[in-house]
Amino acid sequence: MEFSDSGRRLGWLGAAAWTAVSISLVLIFFVARTAQSAMGGELQRIFYFHVPAAWVAYLAFAIVFMSSIAYLRTNDRRWDILANSSAELGVVFLALVLITGPIWAHPVWGTWWQWDARLTSTLVTWLTYVGYLFIRNLTTDRRRGGRLAAVVGIIGLVNIPIVHFSVYWWRTLHPTGPTPANPTANSGLGTPELAAFFTSLAAFTLLFAWLLAMRARLGRLEDRADELEMGVVSGRRREAVVRARQVVTT
Amino acid sequence: MRAGGPGFVGKTWALVVKDVKLELRARDTLPPMVAFAGAVAVLLAFSIPSSGNLSAPVRIVAGSAPLTDVLAGFLWVTVLFAGLIGFARTFEVEREEAAIDSLLMAPLDRSGLFFGKAIPNLLFIVLVEAILIPLFAILFGIDLGGSWAVLASVALLADLGFVAVGTLFSALAAQTSSRELILPILALPVLVPVFIAAVVLTSDLFAGSSLDEVARRGWFAILVAFDVIFITAGALLFEFTVE
Repeated sequence: MEFSDSGRRLGWLGAAAWTAVSISLVLIFFVARTAQSAMGGELQRIFYFHVPAAWVAYLAFAIVFMSSIAYLRTNDRRWDILANSSAELGVVFLALVLITGPIWAHPVWGTWWQWDARLTSTLVTWLTYVGYLFIRNLTTDRRRGGRLAAVVGIIGLVNIPIVHFSVYWWRTLHPTGPTPANPTANSGLGTPELAAFFTSLAAFTLLFAWLLAMRARLGRLEDRADELEMGVVSGRRREAVVRARQVVTT
Repeated sequence: MRAGGPGFVGKTWALVVKDVKLELRARDTLPPMVAFAGAVAVLLAFSIPSSGNLSAPVRIVAGSAPLTDVLAGFLWVTVLFAGLIGFARTFEVEREEAAIDSLLMAPLDRSGLFFGKAIPNLLFIVLVEAILIPLFAILFGIDLGGSWAVLASVALLADLGFVAVGTLFSALAAQTSSRELILPILALPVLVPVFIAAVVLTSDLFAGSSLDEVARRGWFAILVAFDVIFITAGALLFEFTVE
């Protein structure tokens, strides 16, 4: 079987991911300087987890989009497994974004939540992909569920810019920090902080790649287990038929 | 369209006529949608200050939303809920007698099936609004003066995108084990841009604005872009939602 070989590659990927995570933790907590109290002081360090998690979530949804198209075109189950694995991880990482954001915002903004453009569009995106997971899990036939989910996976990504644009327009009056167009505006990030940030970004990306590979392998094993079970069931049925025939003939 | 020509349009139209005829005979979708919308409108009235009436507006506490915003939101929440309840029944007839197989055998591009289902849905939601909007005007003292036509065009633009998303997702939802529940879960997040644009424009109209501001016209552009994208997506992706 090719499992041992892919297992070894998976091991290396995991080792790389966890090494990167360890280095980034050191950089985040011991090298990056404490931010001004206006940005939350020590609490600002949550930024090194918050932003990479958001990046990984949107990367995950881009993978869902591409593998959904590939699945509908080729009907190859591997694309479907990849899309599903990536969607699950995207929902988890975006949930981390939605949890870490308010933890920082409560003391700094004085409120857990604001109906600010970026917060709102993140929440809407998260809900869209929760729907993606629902439609898959509420369909009994795995192949049909995959096809239906692929449609949602495509629509979901197409809609992200429209949602973002409309929500942004709706709440342009709200003051926000550095904007996507001007990310370093007054951010106060020096070399140590940028090093910590980009290492964390790399660590999150590697961690995501490792988890994605693990989850996809699990999906393939689930399929294999299903096939074996079906084989056992049909084998038992065959035995039963043979036995019944023997009873009839004797 | 790929299939092109009068054949495609003619066949699609036959499907539209079929569903409209079915509704005229059974009357099991549109009347419940209207009744539901009316019930929601009445319930929402209990959530606004004592005189929730624009002709005699109450003093709104500073910092809270203007009554026009609230009423525009109410109107579109009611439309979305009534619409989703109706759209969830899009494939009910086909499910009941397993007639979906016969429908799929129709010698027609799958996008024709999409339009054949979307156009009746559009008709239903337009009729719901034709009753609901005057009802809102009476209940909440809305006087639009000469802006009725503008509101109608806003509503129609919003409906196109709403129906495209609703019809596509109703085909998805029809194949899951919790049909009526899954449709709003899928559709509502996707419909956020339509909802915002419709509410902003409607609120302006309720407030007596003539929609002259250029910035406001941008919301029309969002509605049109949404309509074009989702009608195209619906027509292209529909074939994957039915077997």
